[in-house]
Amino acid sequence: MLQQILALTWKDLKIFFKDPGAVVLIFLQPFMFIVVMSYALGGLFEPEKGAIHILAVNQDRGSQAAAILQQLDALDAFVVETRWEGQPLTREMAERLIVEGKRNLALIFPPDFSEVLGQIAERHSTRIVFLADPTASAQVVEPIQGTLQGLIERRVFIARMPKGIDFLLDTLAPQMSREQREAFKAQAEQASSGGLVGGDSPVVIVEREAPTGMRVEKYPNTFQQNVPGYTIYGLFWIVSLLTSSVLRERREGTFRRLLAAPMRRATILAGKFLPYYLINLVQLLIMLGASSLLFKMSLGYSPLGLVVVSLAAAAASTGLGVLIAGLARTDSQVGGLTVLLLLTMSALGGCFVPRFIMPDWLKTLGLITPHAWALDAYQDLLVRGYGLREVLPKAGALLIFAAAFFGIGISRFRFD
Amino acid sequence: MSSPIIEVSELVKKYGDRLAVNGVSFQVQEGEIFGLLGPNGAGKTTTLSILSTLLQPDAGKVQINGYDLAQDAERIKPLIGLVPQELALYPTLSAWDNLAFFGRIYGLRGRRLREQIDFVLELVGLRDRAGDAVETFSGGMKRRLNLAAGLIHQPRLLFLDEPTVGVDPQSRNFIFEHIERLKAAGMTILYTTHYMEEAERLCDRVAIMDEGRILALDTPQKLIGLLGGGVIHLAIPSDFISMLLPAIRALPHVQAVSPLDGRIKIETTEARSALLELIQLCHTRDVPILSLEILEPSLESVFLHLTGKHLRD
Repeated sequence: MLQQILALTWKDLKIFFKDPGAVVLIFLQPFMFIVVMSYALGGLFEPEKGAIHILAVNQDRGSQAAAILQQLDALDAFVVETRWEGQPLTREMAERLIVEGKRNLALIFPPDFSEVLGQIAERHSTRIVFLADPTASAQVVEPIQGTLQGLIERRVFIARMPKGIDFLLDTLAPQMSREQREAFKAQAEQASSGGLVGGDSPVVIVEREAPTGMRVEKYPNTFQQNVPGYTIYGLFWIVSLLTSSVLRERREGTFRRLLAAPMRRATILAGKFLPYYLINLVQLLIMLGASSLLFKMSLGYSPLGLVVVSLAAAAASTGLGVLIAGLARTDSQVGGLTVLLLLTMSALGGCFVPRFIMPDWLKTLGLITPHAWALDAYQDLLVRGYGLREVLPKAGALLIFAAAFFGIGISRFRFD
Repeated sequence: MSSPIIEVSELVKKYGDRLAVNGVSFQVQEGEIFGLLGPNGAGKTTTLSILSTLLQPDAGKVQINGYDLAQDAERIKPLIGLVPQELALYPTLSAWDNLAFFGRIYGLRGRRLREQIDFVLELVGLRDRAGDAVETFSGGMKRRLNLAAGLIHQPRLLFLDEPTVGVDPQSRNFIFEHIERLKAAGMTILYTTHYMEEAERLCDRVAIMDEGRILALDTPQKLIGLLGGGVIHLAIPSDFISMLLPAIRALPHVQAVSPLDGRIKIETTEARSALLELIQLCHTRDVPILSLEILEPSLESVFLHLTGKHLRD
């Protein structure tokens, strides 16, 4: 029996590798998705790689605008450009670059910016022009505007504080000697710049942390975010190959020939499905291995966890193929059903869009797909740094899916 | 003659309300080529599928090599080589890979497998194309490989289901020669076809089937002998039929006469002489002849004689 299963398996593997379209579908398609989407969405997950470029036209006669731009440039999310092709930027140049689509955003500091910041008694004001391409999304522009506003207000406070103290002391303690006054100002400035307020360092530091229990030494890169989703998406395309192969055997009469041979129907089914399970495992190995080697993606801390989840995910995926092969009778049924089912399940399961941004009802609905469980398990291992124990329930859920799919599929399976 | 290797008795198979096989019984002797001849839908493939263990009969009994099909299917399967009507091959694999796969399914391996593949490839004349993908083969070459796949495990019984459908005359002759060689080597062959010339050329005995029943079973020569010297179908205006029947019966080369769908069916001892006598008679009695059809003695005309239908209807 084992020899027959192996013969069937070897035959299907040979047929698979002689079909370039199938190889591309299974191995290259998810890989291309990973590469393209990871680079496309890189800026969302790794600001230093996808930093937003801001043109800056600094007309300020003082030093305050330069200080703000320096602070802005120090943030990973932004790159401040004050020159273009070696020339200091002017407003005209900045506008032209935006019109030409080379940049989206520009800041224009007025000549009196430092002067206005230094005034305390007079009610003067000044204006920073924030040029933005109308096509730039609000999700990008508004946070920049907010960040800039915060930096400017802080700079105003620092610039005006000495004059403010003078103003207060003139009003409240005009009898204070010049030496006492200078000593008080020095103390106040030290407190605000060095200790109390924190100088150029903010008093409130926003530092990102992971929830308790997760082992995250550095935040996941774009590949860690994208590889699990697109790997799961690609994994389930085995359904298309498996069902097509079953229909072909039915149509071309090879099942009849196999049924006439001295072997049980269960042996034929085992030999028919095993190669697709193996292809799924190779697919996972290639996706994860290539992402680790080529893109330096961390594979987490639990190789055993990865093995268990991969075995369970491949079982669920192959099982779905058996289910469709059991239900579908024609090529057109397989074509339509497979595409509809796989794309819907992938979307619901969070392969394309992270489930955390979905509404609650959709998140719950997603749990009816094996994709969601597999994706969550891989993210536990690759992104959240969990181990085998934490992913076992999810691997168990995948095996339940697999058992249900195999059970229904085999009970409805027809050889002719 | 040797003892029967296949014994089929009162076989019945229904699909819903339709009786596909209706009480079929026959025996096949070891070493003979036994033909099931009939039009599409006659029940030939269903009978063959039951004998190949692919279908369960609703009633009846089948014994192959002394084993009861209902109880010993797993012992029967290795004895049978099935060549289905479809080209049951994997088109993207080479001829060699296809044969290696089917050989392994039957437990062949190593040197024995390689020898057997070489043997059957030689037998069907495809040794020089062993490494080519089957999808590059002509229809006739695929048919020959289909036959080779059924022979890979050296079965005692070969079941051929319409093996020449869609094959050019040259490849058909090639297949006939292979089958004759296999018979000469002592293989028992069960052969279904709706081509009478194939049954006449190849089969030792033929069962003529229609609508799930065996209508006649004998050697092709004896079946053809049922028609005597041939049959003539004569069409004349209906007013003249009753008047002319006694005169036709009295003609020297006429054996039997009967009305058939507005025509007269005339069984003769010698068709051409009877034809001349008939024309002379009609001329003398001033009876217009609407049509005349001579059925020379053949299995085709036997089928027509038995059913009133052509084999290809």
